[in-house]
Amino acid sequence: MASLTARVRDRRTLRRNLMALTFLAPAIVLIGVFTITPFVNAITLSFQSWDGISLDTPWVGLQNYEFVFKDDEFWASMKNVAVFGVVGFFLGNAVSLGMAIAVNRIRRLRTFFRTVFYLPGILSVVVVGVIFLFMFEPRTGVLNRLLDTVGLESLQQNWLGDPTFALPSVAAVFIWFHWGFGFLLFLAGLQDIPEELYEAAELDGARAWAKFRYITWPQLAPVTTIVSLLTLLAALQIFGTVQVLTNGGPGSHTLVPTLLIYEEAFTNNRYGSAAAMSVLFGGALVVLSFIQLTIARRRADK
Amino acid sequence: MVTSLAGTQKNGAAEAPPGNPLHDRSPEPPRRRRIRPERVGLYGLLVAAALTALFPLLWMLSGSLQTQDELLSGDHFLPNVPHWQNYVTAWTDGDLGTYLSNSVFYTLTAVLGILVVSSMAGYVLARVEFWGKGFITFVILAVMIIPAPAMFLAQYRLLLDLQLTNSRLGYILILITSGIPMATLIMRSFFVSQPRELEESAALDGASPLRIFASIILPLARPGLAAVAVIQGLHAWNEYLMALVLFDDNGLMPIQRGLTSFNSAETPQQQVLLAATVISVVPVIVFYLLAQRNIVNGLGAGALK
Repeated sequence: MASLTARVRDRRTLRRNLMALTFLAPAIVLIGVFTITPFVNAITLSFQSWDGISLDTPWVGLQNYEFVFKDDEFWASMKNVAVFGVVGFFLGNAVSLGMAIAVNRIRRLRTFFRTVFYLPGILSVVVVGVIFLFMFEPRTGVLNRLLDTVGLESLQQNWLGDPTFALPSVAAVFIWFHWGFGFLLFLAGLQDIPEELYEAAELDGARAWAKFRYITWPQLAPVTTIVSLLTLLAALQIFGTVQVLTNGGPGSHTLVPTLLIYEEAFTNNRYGSAAAMSVLFGGALVVLSFIQLTIARRRADK
Repeated sequence: MVTSLAGTQKNGAAEAPPGNPLHDRSPEPPRRRRIRPERVGLYGLLVAAALTALFPLLWMLSGSLQTQDELLSGDHFLPNVPHWQNYVTAWTDGDLGTYLSNSVFYTLTAVLGILVVSSMAGYVLARVEFWGKGFITFVILAVMIIPAPAMFLAQYRLLLDLQLTNSRLGYILILITSGIPMATLIMRSFFVSQPRELEESAALDGASPLRIFASIILPLARPGLAAVAVIQGLHAWNEYLMALVLFDDNGLMPIQRGLTSFNSAETPQQQVLLAATVISVVPVIVFYLLAQRNIVNGLGAGALK
């Protein structure tokens, strides 16, 4: 009797597992073939030499890595992308949070402002590039013309062509493009903070700063962790905007790793060293996400 | 999470009636008609930010309607007469009909594929106990961390080996795969929040799992599917890197790739390029305004699982 029920249970378990496998199969196959395989292949390719055409990809040991470590452009691109990361992380997140707090304080027109603030975020990198290429134009661009109109000709610049201003200009475009995303998430987080906390604080006579410091900031911490990680990763992976605006120039003053990997492979036909770059840079990004998620989890456990 | 976010949006984002105690954080007693400087500053800031967000788009629109002389003279903020001819030129010279229909095709098929694959996977992960569940959940989370720069080169090579470069199928498979992890997690949390009674009674009636899924689960999952669809639709429409890497053939390119190809190959006049860009943006903006709530909820659900 016992063995019969056990067999029925076994059969049911088997059937359940089979069904689960069937339902998961498409997802597993696609991720296995188009994500995990290339991820592993990128590592293999970084120890090989390949020109993009030939069938032969000889092993070259650490040669690609040696080449990359000695490559000034690679380090320039890492330095530039670090600037994007820092600017996005601090300035971008600060703008997102500040505007979320501002919108959360108003009663009328909330939906309107929310809609408008996220609007740039739905554009493509190409569209953003075309728009700002037009606006930054040295002679006919609106930025220099506005400066001229208000009598500040001395501040006119060749925004994208001048080594000093190119990187800050592209970073400004990135923030314009991207702050709405963090803003939406911060706003949702603010709306989840229980109102009673603020009311209790007011009874105790707390000022605006104290309310922010002791209620808003700690309550928002989980959202802040996610938003800052996502903004940082987006800033570090910047590619299309840079390609359209400056293509890395002038010189390599706005070159970023993703663009360099693309150029190294598809323009210079050095796929091996491009793969080495993508392993180094991609690996750094993975480590970064991992660190931040671990910190977030530890904080959540507390 | 989808539902809880949808809830907050409904309560919080819609304009609360004035005087609602839940939304009034000001320490002063309400109903005083004096305009407080703090309010003025707040609205001033918001209006300034709104102008900053909108101005570049309006500027592009203005530029797209000017003649080349107006644009080059650099002293027109608005065109004297809207020069709609730019749009006609952009449409024909830029071959936008081809690019746009390609983009519509890629976006629709990718979204459909993502919905099918991720709703099935998300359902099983939410409801069924099976061997290796923890491991598969971990893998789906882990592949989300792998960034595009680490992969696009090897993805290109893989598709080259499979003879799927310059191919609609290859591009769609890449789009679907890149959407699966996040969409699966959203669908999973959606199914977790749904009651089980219906499917259990259907199972007692002897319906097969696939039948239950298709006729009971999916129709009820519409809000979750909508959130996934709008977000993945925007992603697919705006995708650029893989389109750049995979396509040489202009006839197959999506609009983003087509725009850069138009920009570099034929050196069009600036106002025509701007008109082409406006044309590429209009469908997205209309979509955004229509599906706004879904977009906001979907973004929140995707990021804050």
